[in-house]
Amino acid sequence: MSDKTEVNLTGVKQSKGLWLVKVPKYLSQQWDKAREKGEVGKITIGKKQGKTEVRFSLNEELTALGAVGEMDASLQVPKDHPFTMHAVGGQTMAVFSQSDTDEISLEGTVVHRAECRPVVDDNYMKLKKLQIKESTKPQRLSQQLERAITTVFKPVANHDFNVEYEKKKKSEGKMVRAERQVVLDMLFSAFEKHQYYNIKDLVDITKQPVTYLKELMREIGTYNSKGAHKSTWELKPEYRHYQSAEEEEEMQTA
Amino acid sequence: MTSLGSSSSSATEYTVRVPKNTSKKYNIMAFNSGDRVNCSTWTQARMERDMSARRIYGEEETQEGAAGSEFGKKQREEARRKKFGIVTREFKVEDQPWILKVNGKAGKRFKGQKKGGVTENASYYIFTQCPDGAFEAFPVHGWYNFTPLAKHRTLTAEEAEEEWGRRNKVVNHFSIMLQRRFREQERGEDDEDEGEKSGKKKKKGGGRGGDLRIHDLEDDLEMSSDDSDSSMGDDGESKTKAKKPTGKGKGKKKRKSNEHEALEDSDDGDYEGLEVDYMSDESSSDDEPEKGKPSKGEDLPKGIDEASESEEESEEEKQNEEEAKEEEEEEEGKKTPVQVEKKKKKDSSGESDSSDDSDIEGETASALFMKKRTPPKRGGGRGSAGSSRTGSRPGTPSIDSASTSNTLRAAASKLEQGKRQPQPATDSPAAKRLKMEPSSQSPAPSGKSTPQPPSGKSTPSSSDVQLTEEAVRRYLIRKPMTTKDLLKKFQTKRTGLSSEQTVNVLAQILKRLNPERKNVNDKMHFYLTE
Repeated sequence: MSDKTEVNLTGVKQSKGLWLVKVPKYLSQQWDKAREKGEVGKITIGKKQGKTEVRFSLNEELTALGAVGEMDASLQVPKDHPFTMHAVGGQTMAVFSQSDTDEISLEGTVVHRAECRPVVDDNYMKLKKLQIKESTKPQRLSQQLERAITTVFKPVANHDFNVEYEKKKKSEGKMVRAERQVVLDMLFSAFEKHQYYNIKDLVDITKQPVTYLKELMREIGTYNSKGAHKSTWELKPEYRHYQSAEEEEEMQTA
Repeated sequence: MTSLGSSSSSATEYTVRVPKNTSKKYNIMAFNSGDRVNCSTWTQARMERDMSARRIYGEEETQEGAAGSEFGKKQREEARRKKFGIVTREFKVEDQPWILKVNGKAGKRFKGQKKGGVTENASYYIFTQCPDGAFEAFPVHGWYNFTPLAKHRTLTAEEAEEEWGRRNKVVNHFSIMLQRRFREQERGEDDEDEGEKSGKKKKKGGGRGGDLRIHDLEDDLEMSSDDSDSSMGDDGESKTKAKKPTGKGKGKKKRKSNEHEALEDSDDGDYEGLEVDYMSDESSSDDEPEKGKPSKGEDLPKGIDEASESEEESEEEKQNEEEAKEEEEEEEGKKTPVQVEKKKKKDSSGESDSSDDSDIEGETASALFMKKRTPPKRGGGRGSAGSSRTGSRPGTPSIDSASTSNTLRAAASKLEQGKRQPQPATDSPAAKRLKMEPSSQSPAPSGKSTPQPPSGKSTPSSSDVQLTEEAVRRYLIRKPMTTKDLLKKFQTKRTGLSSEQTVNVLAQILKRLNPERKNVNDKMHFYLTE
């Protein structure tokens, strides 16, 4: 909600009339293939017996379904597309654009709506058939295998993971009880950060044997067996001094 | 641009270009046709994304290190969610709605929600014509439907539910928003805005903020019935309008009148359901059928009312009703349909409070239809008139007066008539007086033409019950009865007497019998012991 962008209203002021045209997917795909200049075709606006007729004809080079430049004779996108025009009919539709720099400008209002329809011929029907075939293909396929796969899940003497674990254990060695005061310091600093701790987490933090830790915690803290923070340890009230933002804990010598 | 000339049509050709390198993404801003949005009238506009949904998706951050935090809570929560398969959708800025503010602070606001599925199967392009005549087509990136946002205060869902439950009890719907504002003010939210708005509303409501002050309403009651008259007719529609908080100037006037109407209506509604009315209908059948539809409608409910009335009303109330009836008659013409309903519902008002939350319309009585105690002022004001009328029992049923039309003048003249003919005030209980009073005025002003045949008026036709002293005596010996009960026994249809006549005759009989009185259920019952 922070950046309020001033909308550039120049487009609307000029009352530029815009057309909103619905274009079939395949046609837009072809347009994407257009060359740098961007010319895709021609529009013919004519008056036939009093009625305005708009037709769009696709450029020759874009009719091929394949890559640009190929003249694939097999399947071609229809070239001729008459537009069906509708009036906007009371609904106000405006066009606004958003640039990369998050600038918003109102381009104009829509004065006409149109639908681009292809001329239906055999070629188009073939195209549609192809499309349908593709869309009905399931995304996932069940395939039967002739031979069983033997490359995974080979029996192993000792799993890699396990081996690593044991190595680590050996290197670290058993957890040694450090000085009482040192450990207490560690605990207090930990409790400065959070109020509730699991014993496992404390072991992780202090690297002390569980029994030693438990002994210390019994001294300075309490165990929550019920409530929101179940099975967690917290400092005894006299040891904690939580403030809203930061904590200043007052340590009382044991 | 090449122009081709052909035989039957003239066509112009333009090239279409689809620019490749646009840095701009085009979107559609669609408005509803009913909102009549004209973009060219905008002088200034601001648009931003509505990020209010972010906190729903984003996890609430408890401060690190604050009291009450747990070590590794986030991870645990996440693991838990995964275990249960709860998938939270990502918060995508692109999909958030837009907030559009037009013409600054005082202008309109719109919310634009993204319409899904636009680019799935077909692509939309915007064709603009360039100065060189060629068309340029830009693909539409997204479609947003913009709807106007209400600037006035609205109730939240809970409050709305609450008010809905109370809708039958609350008379003045305008006060709902005012009270809400009051509450907010007290809580100290957002002061300036509130204060302004409530100030405005207060002014407009003409001190309607004094919903809390009861005497305001009473003051309004004193205002002439003309005020309410003018707006009586709009009763129904103004109430619905009242619910729209946008009623400002109009709302003010209607607000006031609503209150008057409400109170006066209910008062009048009370007084309407007198048994005497029912009888008077008979007599008024002699008159030219004046108000066909409204009065007809009134007959039946009146009858029903009469039937149930003996259980409810005290005689004291009857007297008051009498007095106010005068006033009601004045306004008669304008609100008869409303009255019809009121009468029907009057007696059900007591029981229906429990069924508050039922949505069934028309069954539960609105506060408007509830019987209210007459404000003492009115009673006092009318008291004098009433007493003069009390003593003005005409010797003969005033058939002539019955034939006058239903107008203010008629009622006024009636009063005068009554005054001019001072009668020995009977020392009979108030009930009798009441009966006599309406009998003098009711026929004409009520103007109810009944579909019943006028024949019943002149001669008592053969019927089961004759209104004789003997019959009355019989009844009173059997069990104590109120005057209303007695009247019911001697129904006008059967005795062949007009309601007025019945009343008079019955009064005379009772005078002669001089029965003993007993108060049962706050109602005066007569009985004889022989």
